[in-house]
Amino acid sequence: MAEIAIGIDLGTSTSCVALSRQRKVEVLLNSFGEAVSASVVAFHADGTVVVGNAAKANIIHEPRHTVHSAKRLIGRYFFSEELRKAQAVCSYEIVEGPNHSVRIKVREEQFSLPEISAMVLKEMKSIAEANLGEPVSKAVITVPAYFNDNQRQATRDAGRIAGLEVLRLLNEPTAAALSYGFGRSVNQKVAVYDLGGGTFDISILEIGQDVYEVLATCGDTFLGGEDFDDRLIDLLAEEFLAQEGVNPRKDPYALEKLKVAAESAKKALSMDDEVEIRIPDVITGSDGRPRAIVRRLDCAEYTALVADLVQRTFKVCDEALQQAGLLAGQLDGVILVGGPTRLPLIRRAVAEYFGQTPKVDVDPDQAVAMGAAIHAATLVGSTEGSVLLDVTPLSLRIGVAGGLAETVIERNTPVPIEQTRVFTTFEDFQEAVRIRIYQGESRSADQNELLGQFTFSGFRRADRGQVRIEVTFEIDTDGIVNVTAREPETGQQASTQITLSSGLSPAQLDAIIAEGKADRVRSEAPVARAPAAPGPARAAARPGAAAMPAAPPSASTSDELEVLPDDAFDLEVDEEFEVVPGNARVAAREPLEPEALDLMPEGTDLRDLPGPGAAPGAGAPAAPSDVDDLFGDMDDLAGPPDDDAS
Amino acid sequence: MPELSPPEIKALASILDELDYYELLHLERGAPASTVKHAYHAASRRLHPDRYRALDGTSRAALVRVAKRVTEAYSVLRHAKRRQVYDARLAGPERPVRLQLAEAESAAEKKAVEERLGTTPNGRRFFTLAHQEIDRGNLAAAARNLQMALTYEPSNEFFKQKLTEVRRHLR
Repeated sequence: MAEIAIGIDLGTSTSCVALSRQRKVEVLLNSFGEAVSASVVAFHADGTVVVGNAAKANIIHEPRHTVHSAKRLIGRYFFSEELRKAQAVCSYEIVEGPNHSVRIKVREEQFSLPEISAMVLKEMKSIAEANLGEPVSKAVITVPAYFNDNQRQATRDAGRIAGLEVLRLLNEPTAAALSYGFGRSVNQKVAVYDLGGGTFDISILEIGQDVYEVLATCGDTFLGGEDFDDRLIDLLAEEFLAQEGVNPRKDPYALEKLKVAAESAKKALSMDDEVEIRIPDVITGSDGRPRAIVRRLDCAEYTALVADLVQRTFKVCDEALQQAGLLAGQLDGVILVGGPTRLPLIRRAVAEYFGQTPKVDVDPDQAVAMGAAIHAATLVGSTEGSVLLDVTPLSLRIGVAGGLAETVIERNTPVPIEQTRVFTTFEDFQEAVRIRIYQGESRSADQNELLGQFTFSGFRRADRGQVRIEVTFEIDTDGIVNVTAREPETGQQASTQITLSSGLSPAQLDAIIAEGKADRVRSEAPVARAPAAPGPARAAARPGAAAMPAAPPSASTSDELEVLPDDAFDLEVDEEFEVVPGNARVAAREPLEPEALDLMPEGTDLRDLPGPGAAPGAGAPAAPSDVDDLFGDMDDLAGPPDDDAS
Repeated sequence: MPELSPPEIKALASILDELDYYELLHLERGAPASTVKHAYHAASRRLHPDRYRALDGTSRAALVRVAKRVTEAYSVLRHAKRRQVYDARLAGPERPVRLQLAEAESAAEKKAVEERLGTTPNGRRFFTLAHQEIDRGNLAAAARNLQMALTYEPSNEFFKQKLTEVRRHLR
């Protein structure tokens, strides 16, 4: 019998799970018979955790203990602008964790974002198990095409915490295209316009029978239906403030009521031209009487309210078409994905932009999960599948002297791919280089997302420019980045899979899985039909677990911290390379700005600071004296030795 | 479903550094863009890692290495400028089978800059003369000089473009 592998669309607002068997694909319904479940996690006072639509209903009662839209925060740094935007609209408490990561604090307990998302995934897994009557341990999980490496890694971690073997991370628009082309012969160029709850993606694909080639993908990970809701919330709140002199946004209960009203108004406007918004008791006035909001809203007013957001999606579309080298008129079809694309105002705008009526073949809420299920079945070999040729959404860069970031792999390059570039030292007798990896479209390093950094040392000491350092960058089919540094002369090698911003080192991940927080989820799905899925699922969910060092005691993180001297980076800032010798290339580049150094998280996992000969993941911690050496004479990388003919 | 057996995959990986991109994708040197795409799709059907989930260990590593090279080959050959740079290197004495994408970009840029000035002494000389004639408003003489420059550098795109421009003004 074929293995079972499910497809999960882990959305910002809602999630969906599907299964493909015997050349058929079906969405698996939750215990209420619903195809989609809210990506909401409610933490009750008695310690139970509820996920899904029941949890969502809890928001207005316990806004501080109900976590929603976690996907907006996953894989983000605490200092990011995205975080501040999220903080403005979230009623639950967001705090800073180690490595500048984001933690959510609920009932005096802190959770990492992968842990929260794992609870949603766990619920999806339970829904599948209840439907199938057997344990499920393998899944394809979808991510927005525009997710960077940090966000992808954090999502994969979430899958592992949920007890799933993540067969693949699949880009949402690609999954939708797969479900569009499923079971028929298609030879078309299509655009997938994917406006979700929190993210917008556009992918241009060329489908040739069984091959799905993504020509270009562009997106905005902070633009979605929830931004539409925010506009309406703002309008209602401002009007209320003007009328009653109280800002309802300041009250978490009132804010959640506004959110519910805004969302249902949006949904109503997908079907009707006009809607009445009625919130009987937004807030209790100083006289003890409840204050209400009653207001009519028509399509025209709503359209005007969100017009600039809709225009923003088309700017992204322009970019994608340009990258694909196509004009809108050359497309054979436009596929709409995501709840907000049900809005007539979006459908009209899309039809106008692309000059054609969007296809109605796919269900905007379910196509992504179905595509993931189709590919999951292919991967476990139960069906003859399609080949997905995807691209990397963001340019991969390496930091060089002067606060610059050089492109190594341009955005929209197909994956998997590997590129090697040669760099050199820029000081005499330099002992170490720091290798910083970024994703983004700016030449200046700090305008990009830092994926991670590591120090490479132990090579031959020589005059500047004499040591060649080969840095190899790999992007795999999941869009996940691996970087290796090597000195060809001695064969000295160091590598890292960058794992900084999710804040979870492999050891922490093991500890979380062992702790089993995700198991606290009280499933909405009836347990009667689903036999308990103990041991095997968990064990299978950790490929290569045996190769990893045994999960260290929980104190390991702080041990690692101690090894790294606190002043390591201050030292480097003080030196600031002002004594750079009169080499034209070097002199042309500014010394490192201190802000870039701030990005180095204090609790950097030692895996990222390999000592001489350390194998990736071997976790052999360097002795403190070695670490001194690492930082003693550390410099930035100089550019490629042969790229400056000037 | 997998088309290649583990020994076949390992054999292919072992000769990877001897195959140029055309050989890897089973392409003729002058193959048109549509054929390049076709070859990439065919190679992906044969070699995409998704088609070999059961494979692990060294066989998988070998497969992934081959798959990454296939993508690299396509990324160079589908791109006119990169392909030009690659073809030029392949025709050179060292015949490197790989071209790093970023390297291709800077080589293409360098080439564009060089072309603007001319790559041969005579080409540069006649192009400079043509420029002087343009400044004097003597377009017929400028066209003659550009034509001379082009006899020394027949494939200089920038010279060709300039000549077309001058001729347009002459009419």
